[in-house]
Parts: sequence; C-alpha cells; structure tokens
Amino acid sequence: MTPFLKWLKEQIIAAFKITDEVMRGKAVETIEHEVAELDNIFGILVLGAFIGIPSPPIHITMELLPLMDKEFDIMLDKVLTAHDPLGHLFSTLGID
Amino acid sequence: MKPQLYFFIGKGGVGKSTTSALTSVYFASNGHKTLLVSMDPAHNQRDIFEQDFSEKPKRVSNTLMVKEVDTDFWIEKYLKETTKQIKDTYKYESTFNLQNYFNVLQFSPGLEEYALLLAFGDTLHKYGDEDFMVFDMAPTALTLRFFSLPFITEIWLEELLKLRSQIYKKKEIISKIKIAGKEIEQDRVKAKLKSMIGEYENLRRQFLSETTKVNLVMNNDKLSFAEAFRIRQKLSDISIGIDKIVINKLNPNENTAKIENEFKEQTIGRFPLAPKGLSGYAALKDYIEVYKETFQEISGTIEYRKR
Repeated sequence: MTPFLKWLKEQIIAAFKITDEVMRGKAVETIEHEVAELDNIFGILVLGAFIGIPSPPIHITMELLPLMDKEFDIMLDKVLTAHDPLGHLFSTLGID
Repeated sequence: MKPQLYFFIGKGGVGKSTTSALTSVYFASNGHKTLLVSMDPAHNQRDIFEQDFSEKPKRVSNTLMVKEVDTDFWIEKYLKETTKQIKDTYKYESTFNLQNYFNVLQFSPGLEEYALLLAFGDTLHKYGDEDFMVFDMAPTALTLRFFSLPFITEIWLEELLKLRSQIYKKKEIISKIKIAGKEIEQDRVKAKLKSMIGEYENLRRQFLSETTKVNLVMNNDKLSFAEAFRIRQKLSDISIGIDKIVINKLNPNENTAKIENEFKEQTIGRFPLAPKGLSGYAALKDYIEVYKETFQEISGTIEYRKR
C-alpha cells in the first residue's frame, strides 16, 4: 500500500469513527436528558431538605448524602436554572 | 437461642419503669442473665435502683445489668460519622457549603427516635447472649415513632430503590450505545439502598418475632385506659400485637373488669400498689417475695424458654 493510500484509509476510518460517535451521541441525547431529570427527581426526593422541600425520614437523607455528590450538584444546578425550564428543554431537543 | 425481649410501654407515669425493673429483677433472681435497658429520656431507673447508670451496662447483681440509652450520645456519634463520610466524598468547596446545611439538619425532627433505633440495634448486637432484655420505653409518642420508624423507612426505601433502578437501567442503555457495551460502574446508591432495606427488614422482623413481647402498662383509671386503647390501635396498624396488659398500682379488691373485657386477647398481669413506693434493689426483691402470684405468669415464660 502506498503511503497515500494508507493515509486515505486512516482518514476514512477516522471519519467513520467521528460519524459513529456523533450518531451515538445523538441517539442518546434525549434519553440522557431524561436520566438527568430522573436523577434530579431522585435528588429532590432524598435531599429535598436542602432546597426547602419536605424530605423522607431524615436518617435516609443522612445515610445517602455521602454517596450523592453528583445528584446534589444536578439538583442545585436545576434550582439555579429553574426560572428558564423551557429554554433548557428546547436546547435539549435542538430547537432554536 | 436469641434473647427474649420485653418492651414496657404505656402512658407517662403509669409505672413502666417500676414494672420493668421488677420484671428484670425477677428474671435475674431466677438465675437468668438479664439486661434492663432504659430507653426513656427521663431515666427513672437510677431513682428506682438508687444508683447512676450510663451507656455502659452496670452490674447490679450477678445476673442483672442495667443500661441507660443516651440519645444525645448516639445522635452526636452518628452526625460525626456522616460528616466524615461527606468530607471524604465531596469536593472541598461543596463540603464547605454542605456543612452549613448540615449544621441545620441535625436539629431535624425524627433524629431522636432514630437514635433510639441505633441504640436498640447496638444493644441487640453487643449483648445477644443475654437470656432476657427488658426495655423500659419512653412515653407513648416517642415509643410509637420508634416502633413505626422501620416500617416507614422501608416504604420510602422501596420506592427510592424502584426509581433508582429505573435510572440505572436507562444509564445502562446510554452506555451500551455510547461506549459499546462496556459495563458502567456499579451504582453505590442502589447498593446502599439495598443494604438499608435488609437492615430495616431485620429490625421489623425482630419487632414481629415470637421472642419479642410487648407489655402495655396501665393504671385502673379512665385516662390511661383510653390511651392504652389508642396505643393498641396504632401498633396494630403496623402489625405489632400486644402480648400482655400490666395493670399497675392496684389496690386490694379493685374491680378491673372493664380492662379485662377490652383486652380479652391479652394476658393480664396485676401489680399491687406498693404503699411505701419502691426504691433500692432490696425493696424490689421484697416486693417480688410478697407478691409471688403477680410473677406466676412471667415464670410461665421462663418455663417455656427452658423447654
């Protein structure tokens, strides 16, 4: 194989890889958004006390809190962007 | 064999501490290793036995030990452990913010009964080779919350586990598509939820087990009768039955027909009024000697254990 052909093959493979990644990303975009929403609901259910929502028996919160740093971040983030839920939804669905 | 657990519950002032102390001394003087645990924040056992007690069980006789549950100790211990875990997991900045919230969280309602539950679990674990454990419980409200906590907690945990499993399934789908089948790391929250459900199931099973006897203490008067009635209702909501009614401070020839009619399914124990009050180990032993027939039903339990 000449160096040129080798180079061409690599380029084509790379292009395929990128396309594949993009397509895979596109395919799970909405489901990822759904998971983030569910994570948020779970966060609110367990850690609601932190943002002023009644929570389960307090020891459940305490037991799970050390394991829920990610959900805690998501929840606080959602609280901060709560004034623009539609904007958030539109950007997820790719509507300009 | 697991220790036999005796809970003494009832309205404030009916004599839960006295009847539980008498029962413990009776078990112990029959040669059974007995641990009396005061779960009542008022801690009357120190007045009855005329000595100080603490978290560490104190030997009162060869076979009897007494322990006072210190809820503040348990809350503090628990908060310290949780704080440490949080510091280990969270980033520095969020720990800093979290600490502020956390300081408020420790004043949340519900921690007191949780502390009792922690103490209860710990006592069972550490002193499992005793023959009898007698629990002198707090007044009604706290006691009912204590008994219902494992039930309520389990309902919550089951629901949270369902939601968590749903989330995990979706995350699996995402990772399958994105990183082509590579397994995602095990969900620690889900694992924790499962282990918590296991713990609470054990506690609930303990409450419902044959080896747990709930003694409802009351006096022969209208108020404690009404409250006893409500306690039975509340406990039956969470499937906990009452094994025995203890009528305390009875005068000779007093008519207890009303109580007997209402509590037909329970055995009735009668503790006559001690005219001079009961304080000191010797006084308790004297009382048991004088009112032998009061303890006959309890000795039935001992016979049952021997078999």
